[in-house]
Amino acid sequence: MFEFEFMRHAFLGCTLVSVLAGTVGWFLSLRRQAFAAHALSHIGFSGAAGAVWLGVSPLFGMIAFSLLAGLAIGSEGEGRGKIPPQRDSTIGLVLAASLGLGTWFLHEANGASSMATTLLFGDVLGIDTPTLFILAGVTALCLLGLVFLGRPLLFSSLTPEVARARGVPVRLTSLGFMAVAALACSACAEVSGALLAFSLMIGPAATALRLGLCPAMGLLVSVLLALVLSWGGLMLSWITDIPIPFWIGLGAGIFYGLANLWTRLRTN
Amino acid sequence: MASPDNLVLENITLCAGQTRVLNQVSLTVPLEGITLLSGRNGAGKSTVLRACLDLVRPEKGQILIDGLPPGMACERIGYMPQGLSDAALMIPAISHVMAAMDGARWGVPVRFGQRKREAERLLALTGALSFSKRPLGHLSGGERQRVCLAQALAGQPGLLLLDEPLAALDHDAQQQIVALLVSLTQTLGVSILMTSHETAALEGKVTRVLALENGELHVRI
Ligand SMILES: Nc1ncnc2c1ncn2[C@@H]1O[C@H](COP(=O)(O)OP(=O)(O)OP(=O)(O)O)[C@@H](O)[C@H]1O
Ligand SMILES: [Mg+2]
Repeated sequence: MFEFEFMRHAFLGCTLVSVLAGTVGWFLSLRRQAFAAHALSHIGFSGAAGAVWLGVSPLFGMIAFSLLAGLAIGSEGEGRGKIPPQRDSTIGLVLAASLGLGTWFLHEANGASSMATTLLFGDVLGIDTPTLFILAGVTALCLLGLVFLGRPLLFSSLTPEVARARGVPVRLTSLGFMAVAALACSACAEVSGALLAFSLMIGPAATALRLGLCPAMGLLVSVLLALVLSWGGLMLSWITDIPIPFWIGLGAGIFYGLANLWTRLRTN
Repeated sequence: MASPDNLVLENITLCAGQTRVLNQVSLTVPLEGITLLSGRNGAGKSTVLRACLDLVRPEKGQILIDGLPPGMACERIGYMPQGLSDAALMIPAISHVMAAMDGARWGVPVRFGQRKREAERLLALTGALSFSKRPLGHLSGGERQRVCLAQALAGQPGLLLLDEPLAALDHDAQQQIVALLVSLTQTLGVSILMTSHETAALEGKVTRVLALENGELHVRI
């Protein structure tokens, strides 16, 4: 299957996106922001719809919109120690508002419904060289951001109140991380579509967390699982002709189930 | 590790929501040894500790810890909040302590091995080493409290602010923790400002008592 250029591109794209999804997704799951991952990619969809209407590249619309939404989500208030109580509702409201906008954009850009399908379900076999470069750039940028934010982000995810007491700028860290997450979600949506972008972010990460690993191991396992999922999904969809999001979603569920079983057997 | 000498409150008015916790209080207290902040439920003990950490700002007045405003003194203060956090319960206990050691710095973590040994030392000190590899969520309340205490000790603080460190501990564990706190003050010269309703366990161990009542703060020896 590697004799075709689009397959080589697809594998490269999947590799980049998996590294990104594995790391960003691990932090998102750790911070119980799985809903944010879901919301950001859908918000990206609205942005892409807007871009189609304006006649610019959907990827840019996606990035711009989810960045804005990421900042809105990240600027949540601080609760007393625990996870901010309004986190879920903030995300939900930002999501609702931007999906509303997205519907309007799609309506204005009428006749673009095939575009909408592509945005929703992704087009991993249609990744051209410029897109690959953009994906590589976004991945590098996000990883750099994570490396920079890493320690304060981990500290404030583990114990927000103590981190704040030690002088960690918790809100700034949270904002920075949501910007990274927004970029990452746009990149993932490019491959697996807005509907399932978060499956690659949350599936491997949730599995790694379920295993109770330390942060370094958890991140590693999360990336490896994401790679197995996306490469495996690509090969299986080549063989079976069933779209790749199906295999990724199924695989994510199976991995999590296995991790669950393993942890239970080990503790009994 | 020079321990902070004193806590200065200059005409402080401090509120939590609608409740006025401190009403124009001016006070200078030396902090050597163990200082117990006492008061009934809802008197505002936690809020006073949080104000000392710049987690809440007073309406009026100024707090100085060892001559510095709270925001600038925070690197030398270890903090243990009241109650159990519900964040990141699937991460091993030891990682929680390690994250606190260099969590305030940007960039990649360095000296992993050294930090791990230091974390293990702190966990051994608080009697939490035997369960340090288990996820935090799989520990009992008292076990988690020991992990939190180890976390507060990360970074060799000169002052510890402990909010109810004895709650949820059985009688023996209370004695152990109190003994540990006393030995910390004696061997390392650490000062401790803590809240607790377990006055029996602290009998004879406390240097000073700060009584918080109706917006006023009084020193009792
Ligand atoms: N975020 C908040 N919003 C509104 N009121 C608050 C808030 N936090 C605390 N309070 C109120 O401020 C008062 C002091 O609270 P605080 O937690 O400091 O009491 P405490 O002395 O630590 O009590 P306890 O012994 O139960 O721990 C309480 O009456 C509480 O209801
Ligand atoms: Mg309290």
